[in-house]
Amino acid sequence: MSLSYRIAYVFLRNLYSYKRFIVPTFLVSLVEPLFYLITFGVGMGAYMGAFGGKSYLHFLVPGVLVSAVMMSASFECLYGTFIKIVHEKVYDSLVATPVSADEAVAGDIVWASFRGLVSGSLMMAVALAMGVAPASPFRFLPLLAFMIFIGILFGSLAMIVTSVAPSFDFFSYYTELVVTPMLFFSGVFFPLERFPGWMKALAEFLPLTHAVRISRALFTGEPAAGLGWSFAGLAVLAAVVFTVSIKMMRKRLIK
Amino acid sequence: MTVLVTASGLTKKYGDLVAVAGIDFEIREGECFGFLGPNGAGKTTTVRMIHCVSPVTSGTLTVGGLPAGIGNRALKKMTGVIPQEINLDNDLTVQENLVVFARFFDIGRKEARVRIAELLRFVELEAKAASKISELSTGMKRRLLIARALINRPRLIVADEPTTGLDPQARHLIWQRLRQLKTQGATLILTTQYMEEAQQLCDRIVVMYQGKILKEGVPGKLVEEEIGREVVEVRIPQEDDEKLLGQLSSFACAHERVGDTLYFYCQDGHPLMRKLVELDLHNYLNRPATLEDVFLKLTGRSLHE
Repeated sequence: MSLSYRIAYVFLRNLYSYKRFIVPTFLVSLVEPLFYLITFGVGMGAYMGAFGGKSYLHFLVPGVLVSAVMMSASFECLYGTFIKIVHEKVYDSLVATPVSADEAVAGDIVWASFRGLVSGSLMMAVALAMGVAPASPFRFLPLLAFMIFIGILFGSLAMIVTSVAPSFDFFSYYTELVVTPMLFFSGVFFPLERFPGWMKALAEFLPLTHAVRISRALFTGEPAAGLGWSFAGLAVLAAVVFTVSIKMMRKRLIK
Repeated sequence: MTVLVTASGLTKKYGDLVAVAGIDFEIREGECFGFLGPNGAGKTTTVRMIHCVSPVTSGTLTVGGLPAGIGNRALKKMTGVIPQEINLDNDLTVQENLVVFARFFDIGRKEARVRIAELLRFVELEAKAASKISELSTGMKRRLLIARALINRPRLIVADEPTTGLDPQARHLIWQRLRQLKTQGATLILTTQYMEEAQQLCDRIVVMYQGKILKEGVPGKLVEEEIGREVVEVRIPQEDDEKLLGQLSSFACAHERVGDTLYFYCQDGHPLMRKLVELDLHNYLNRPATLEDVFLKLTGRSLHE
């Protein structure tokens, strides 16, 4: 792979372009968490009683945090990148400069992670305003770092989909058949304990399950079993999908 | 003059499709070298290999002594590309397009500001610095592409059909700018389907067709060698050809029938014209031979004697 500091230039290009969309994207990033936290947290939480001694909202927030990062990073690398390749031809002009195709793709993944971080942070701000805070202020930094990591992971996964996508419609397969189901099978909205055995086993194959587990442990300060394995698994997966996404995009970009 | 670009047996395949079929050429430092050819001739593929965005399938290609290749940042750094397709960044303003591109080339902020002001003046877009790309006309967009291609002060400029879709004023402005760049010492590689463009700008050209080079030379000389000085066009029904050709057999002009027209290629068309007046034909004209005639002869049909 041909990666260098030039990744930062691609990030910068995206930052320039973002200036124009900053207000609408902030609004969307704010409305989405409000929607989740109010409907599920407050509305449904009222019927749930205490969750391990705390309100349902406390259970919900850490999971919704990483889901927001996942959604945001995925959409950026699906629609955002696709537009840049096919409609705007941004990549065409980029690869004619000393910036390599690999750096262009890596820059977009890093950018997607940043967009995920923005969404996650806004979600966190809303949660704080609703009185849900991490166990201690020292937990903010590791949580933010974890969001960046999750953004890279899901951004790269989405990038693989984009590398073979013939059109926008293709993304529905990924979002409807992979991303949305994952949201409901990864312990974001309810604990996985009551799932039948095979569903529990299935959930262990979903990266979001592990991301939620780590996020919840970071948030609440309560250690859970197998956290180390969860993190190691995600780290290996992230390294693999990042590498594969760049190789596959290179195939699409260089002919 | 030193040679800047050398290709030997240069080949590009996309699966089974052969886009460039083993061509050889040399481009000298400081000249304007043109690739002429119809759509699909392999011109764009060839120049994309020269500016290192498309890998060479086989054969050798060197630029400034270095082998051309996707990962060759040194070559990309000294090359400016004016693409065929308008691929400006629509999310950014005119100024930002140049700022971002300057970063891509590792140009510092201060230096970039100086160059951008200079380049916007050069392409007469100073007033549009803060405009969105969607607010520009096609001619302005093409000019901005030129400014963008020059941000790194390139030694080699690759212009891939730089005036496609432009009105005459805009086209002439671009020609002037390209000629200006050449006098400043840059080497220019141009692909075009417009023969006039090639004649206006190029020192030497190659005519490409189906991935091969059919002819190489200096535009003016090529016309003389291949066609002659003048062309006489006669529009008569094909059935009358035999009769007319019999009457004109004493003239030393090659002829060719294309569609509804009979073309005569002559060193001097006057005697033939006088004869045509005498024969009382109605639809005919005499004009200087152009590169277009060469092009049509080479790529379109063969010459019948």
